[in-house]
This record gives sequence, structure tokens and C-alpha cells, in this order.
Amino acid sequence: MLISSIQAVQIVQNISEHVQGNAALISIAEGTAIDIEELIAELNKNGIKFMGGIFPKVIHGSSILDKGIVINTLQNIESLFLVRNVSSKNFSIPEISFEANQDYSLFTYVDGLTSNISNYLEELYASYGMQTNYFGGGAGSLSLKQKPCVFCNDGFFEDAAVACVMKMKSSIGVKHGWNKVDGPFIVTKAEGNVIKEINWNDPFEVYKTVVENHSTQTFTDDNFFDIAKGYPFGIIKSDAEYIVRDPLMVNDNNELVCVGELEDNMLVDILNGDVDSLISASTQATKECMDKAQHPKKAIIIDCISRILFLENEFDTELSSITDAISSQYPDLSIGGALTLGEISSYGEGFLEFYNKTVVIGLFEYED
Amino acid sequence: MKIENHILNILQLYEFAMAIGKSLDYKENCDALLKLILKRKSLNATWILKEEKNKLISTYSLPMGKEVKTDFDDKIKQLLESEYQYKLLDAEGVPPAITPIKIETGQLAVFNLKAQGYLFFYTQKHNFTEDQLSQLQPVIDKFYNSLLACRSFEEQKTLLQNLKVQNQELSDYAHMVSHDLKSPLRSIDALSYFLKEDFENELGEQGRQQIDTIRTNVEKMDALINGILDYSTIGKHQTEFYDVNLDQLVKDIINLIDVPEHCDIKVSELPVIYGDKYRLQQLFQNLISNAIKYNDKTNPQIEIGASQEDGYHKFYVSDNGIGIEKAYHDRIFETFKKLQNDGSSTGIGLSVVKKIVETYQGRIWVNSEPGEGTTFYFTLKDKH
Repeated sequence: MLISSIQAVQIVQNISEHVQGNAALISIAEGTAIDIEELIAELNKNGIKFMGGIFPKVIHGSSILDKGIVINTLQNIESLFLVRNVSSKNFSIPEISFEANQDYSLFTYVDGLTSNISNYLEELYASYGMQTNYFGGGAGSLSLKQKPCVFCNDGFFEDAAVACVMKMKSSIGVKHGWNKVDGPFIVTKAEGNVIKEINWNDPFEVYKTVVENHSTQTFTDDNFFDIAKGYPFGIIKSDAEYIVRDPLMVNDNNELVCVGELEDNMLVDILNGDVDSLISASTQATKECMDKAQHPKKAIIIDCISRILFLENEFDTELSSITDAISSQYPDLSIGGALTLGEISSYGEGFLEFYNKTVVIGLFEYED
Repeated sequence: MKIENHILNILQLYEFAMAIGKSLDYKENCDALLKLILKRKSLNATWILKEEKNKLISTYSLPMGKEVKTDFDDKIKQLLESEYQYKLLDAEGVPPAITPIKIETGQLAVFNLKAQGYLFFYTQKHNFTEDQLSQLQPVIDKFYNSLLACRSFEEQKTLLQNLKVQNQELSDYAHMVSHDLKSPLRSIDALSYFLKEDFENELGEQGRQQIDTIRTNVEKMDALINGILDYSTIGKHQTEFYDVNLDQLVKDIINLIDVPEHCDIKVSELPVIYGDKYRLQQLFQNLISNAIKYNDKTNPQIEIGASQEDGYHKFYVSDNGIGIEKAYHDRIFETFKKLQNDGSSTGIGLSVVKKIVETYQGRIWVNSEPGEGTTFYFTLKDKH
């Protein structure tokens, strides 16, 4: 459901009617002129359980919105919890007793601009393992200034994550469409989200050599992101999609500042893509997801904001390729989501990862 | 393409190898490598089981799952024991007792970590190959060594902690004992003094001598208790070290103690050393006092000097006194061992000296000839 009102009382009434006693997943576009604290107070006053996040844009159907509130119902909740102090690793994950022969899905929003997100995901996996699917994204502002961006009944927070575990089957498709240009390279030194050395050399020089050669463009003082948005790094994994890392800028030490963390001695390729490869990837992700689903009731799309920054006007095509594919098979399915700062998925297999520049589609199934 | 894959495999092994040994904490060490392998190889779980008293116990697991504590029965032994470096198993045939998580289908790779147990990797997909495991083996070998280091470090930490506790208990005990012993001694001393003062005429000469004997023994007992307390506290507490001018220290000692007439004390240039003045004073004072006390010559001669040797200061305190028989050259440093039936000796002085020298990572030894004299040599580490 999409809510355009910015009056807390009206919003809460709409949510209450929509979720009908269940919990609410609230995704708010950052352009929405709304007092979040007021909204939280009103939701609590009305006894509605909820979690949510603020995003650069939100998705409803086949539309991308700068303003608006997208509501999804969270059914069959086993647990809904808040994790604070993500960056300092000073938190614990609540215990859950998973029943045998029961499907579970965990949905989470995390402050996409905080550090140690990988550690948060590792702790989630260490606690819950293969007993649940994982799906979610990074919240935050496109300005890349960290501020409160995730919320739940306990309040509005930064450096935090909100999550809920539902008794619900889900199918997930994860693809990005970025392909290898050159590599492998070793990130011989990294600190947080900064690449300090590649193959024991100046990282920007190594990156620049490859990218300028492939793109036939030249880096200047003020065009780094304009070129780099088409040339992300990909962390190499066996039998799975690259984990993409977006270089954002070059700092004064010629080091590459990225979105998302990296570690010493990581193997990376330098990737490139185009409109066709990206859109093809989102179509594939949708297909993979639908092939695994049986009776989905809702779809949530978590698409990286940097894809729209790269695709620009063609992003509508990407979104339509996803929504058209879903609607053609499931015409009554509600589709909602957000453009995020990072994507979270288990892809149903193995360790939980924090992706960038990737599209993740989830189809959720439950009994009415 | 094939060469490219080989290069990729090698570089991935490099990444794994570099993740080993980043911490001496067992869990952190396991996390660093095993999480990385799970991520890069798209695996689902990993755990380590170790044998203890014929049971298999989980020492690490990711995800955490349930604790494994199971009998190392014949069925499991058949599966895991025998000579192998690694093996590949079908998940279906694996007893649930040895898996912290529920596994139904897929593959299990097992690496033999010998004394450190068995390392398991689980994948829901059938994507392990013998080649991959063979390539991983050298990394696992390195990991095994790092686990040994972690265990040694843990044991060392435990031993040090126990030592710390025992030291504290000993120190507390010594304080307690000395306080409890000193209290009645003070009473005896005071009362015997008043007895002698107030009843001097009634006591007579013999009575006064007996009271003097009582008071001498009380003094001796007090000195012994102080010596025991000193001995038990040397090296137990963190002491601040600073530059100590030994020339000045020895001069102060000579001024302080009772040096008989005709006793010559010759002091050569002594260095400034980094230490604790209180203990150094004890050390030199004990040796100089002994040199004065155990001298039967009309013109006692004492020499004190130093030299530099291999990062140590070597000192000597030499006298022309009564000397010590060779058989006792080691015994004299033992606690409560005295060579003479000397009522004033506590038998602890040289033990204290030895212990002080050892806190400076030095050693002490003696050269002596009965009737000719004794030289005590000792070294103190040069911290400059």
C-alpha cells in the first residue's frame, strides 16, 4: 500500500486498516515531509507493531517515488527486534526457537551508512544459520550523511538495525549484471570501507589504469564518480555472484573510499556493465525467484540506489522488467520496496552477505 | 581460462592463508579463517569437534547450533578415525550426534586436525571436489599450527592467573601471620621491659639476666618474622624502578650500620643502576653486615666493587673473615639454613639477598676459604 498523506494520525489509520492486527513494514522515501517521531508515537498509541526505514526512494508497483510511504504487512511474526550499536559490535541477537519443518524468513533494515554491517550480518547468521531465509537492505540518505534512518516501536535510530523473523516461506533472487573487466587483484591493505593498497601499489593508480583504458575516459579532479559508477569492484566468490563494492571517491591519500566494507587480502575484479547487462540481470533475478516460488502473496524489491544513478532514465525499464514479470504470473500480487544503500540476502544458500549495486527480489508466501 | 582459474585458486588460498594467526584467542582465530572460507566458497556451516575422555565435544561452530557432546562410539570412530588428511562424506550418512546443526542433504568435508580434533565444512549443494580439498589442505595444516598456539596461549594465561592468585594468597597469609605473631611479641617485650624496670631490685642479677634473655629472643623472633615477610613479598608487587646511585647507597649503609673500629671498608666506583632503592639497600646491607659480623680478624677488611659484563653489572663484596666451607656454598642461600649456632641470626638474610638478585634477573655465588675470607659475587641486569 502507498500512503501519500503526511499527517501522522491519517497515516496510522491507513496502516491500521491495511495490516489488520498484523505488524507493519514501513518504508519511507526521504523526500517525505513527515515527523517520524510523531508517527512513531501515534503508532505506539494505537498499539501497532512495526519496523521501518528511511530510503532515498521507495518502490510501489512499477513506480519509483521521491515522496511517499510504502506499507507491507508482516504476518506470522515470531520475533521483531532492534539491534543498536552496530558499529561498535556491542549487541546481542535474541534467541529464537525455530520449529522443525517450518519455513522462516528474516527481514531486516540496517543503517546503510554505519560501519561493521558485515559483522551484524555474521552475527545474525551465527545465531540463526540455515533455519531462515534472509532479506533486507541498507537505509539512509542519498546525501551519504549518517542520521537516524531505522525505526520500530522503540524509537528512531542510527547505527542500528531492525529485524523481524516470520513464519513464512520466501524465494529470493539476487543478481547484479556487472561483469569482469580485469583482475584478479589483491586488496593488500584495507581499512573499513577504504582500499589503501591494491597489489601493494597505489590503489587509485591501479584502478585508474584499468578504467581509463577500458572506458577511454580520463579521470579529472571532479569526475571520479561519474566514471567510477560504471566500474565497481567485485569480491570474488566461488559459484556465486560477485559481492559488488562501489568506489565513491578518492581521498587525499589516493585511497579509494567505497560503500561497504572490505578486508585485507580480498580478491577483487574490476567490473563494468551497461544498461542491457543490468536490466538482463534484474530479469534473471526475477525469474530465479519466481521459479522457486509456489503461491506468493507479496513481492518486495530491494534495489540499490546506485543502479538508478547509473541507469538514470533507463531505471524505469529495469523496474518494469521486474514488475511486469511478476504481474504476468501473479497479477494480484502487491509489489513494494525501496532503493537502498546496500542489499542483504542469503540467496537461500550459505553465509549472509551485504551487497552493493545489486537487485534483490523476494517473494513471500503465507497462509491468509 | 584454465590458467586463469588456477591463478584464482592460488590467490584465494593466499587470502585464506593470510587470515590465519591474526589472534591468539581460539574463537577469534577460528572466526578469521573459517568465516572467510564459508563466504568465499558459498558453504553453509563449519564446526570443530575435539576428543576428550572418549567423547567428542564441539569447540567451535558456525552457525552456533546445539552443543555437541557425544560418545566417541565405534560407529563414529569408523567414520572419523584412521589415517587421512581429509575426506568427503555424503551428509545423509552422518550421525546427527556429531552435527551441531540439522543437515539432511548435501556434502560434508572433514579435515583431520589430529590432536586438535576434526574440522567439518558443510554445503547443501554438492559443490565440493577432491581437488578443492587437496588445495585447501596446506592452509588447514597452517590453521592446525595456529590452533596449537592458541591452546598454549590459553594454558599460559590460566597458569599466570593461578600464579597471581597464589601469590596474592601467600602475601595475604604472610601479612596475616606476621601480624598475629607480632602482636603477642610486642606484649612480651613491653611487659618484660616493665618487669625489669619495676622489680629491678627484687629480681636480682640472675633474674635481670633471664629477662634480658627473654627480650633478646623476642628481638630475634621479631627479626625472623620481618625476614619471612620480606622474603614472601620480594618480586610479588609491581615496583617502580628508577635510577639508583649505588655509590651513595653504599655510603649511606656504612653510615647507618655499626662498623667496628679498625674495620676498613673499601668501596670502588659503583654504577648507577635502574632499580628499587629499598630492595637494593636490603641486598647490600645484608652482605656488608654479614662481612662485618663473621670476621675474627683484628683488622677486618671489606671490599666492595663492580664491573660490566654482557648486559649485566657484576658486583662483589669481599672480606677477610672466617670463611665458609665449600660444602655449604649453596646451602647458605636456603631459607632458615645457618652455619653457626648464632642466636642473633635468623637464617633468612642470604635467602632474601638471593631473591632480590633474582628479581633483577641476576645470580649470586660465593668463593670462600675457611680462615681466609669470603667473596660474594652477584649480577644485576643492566636495563639501560
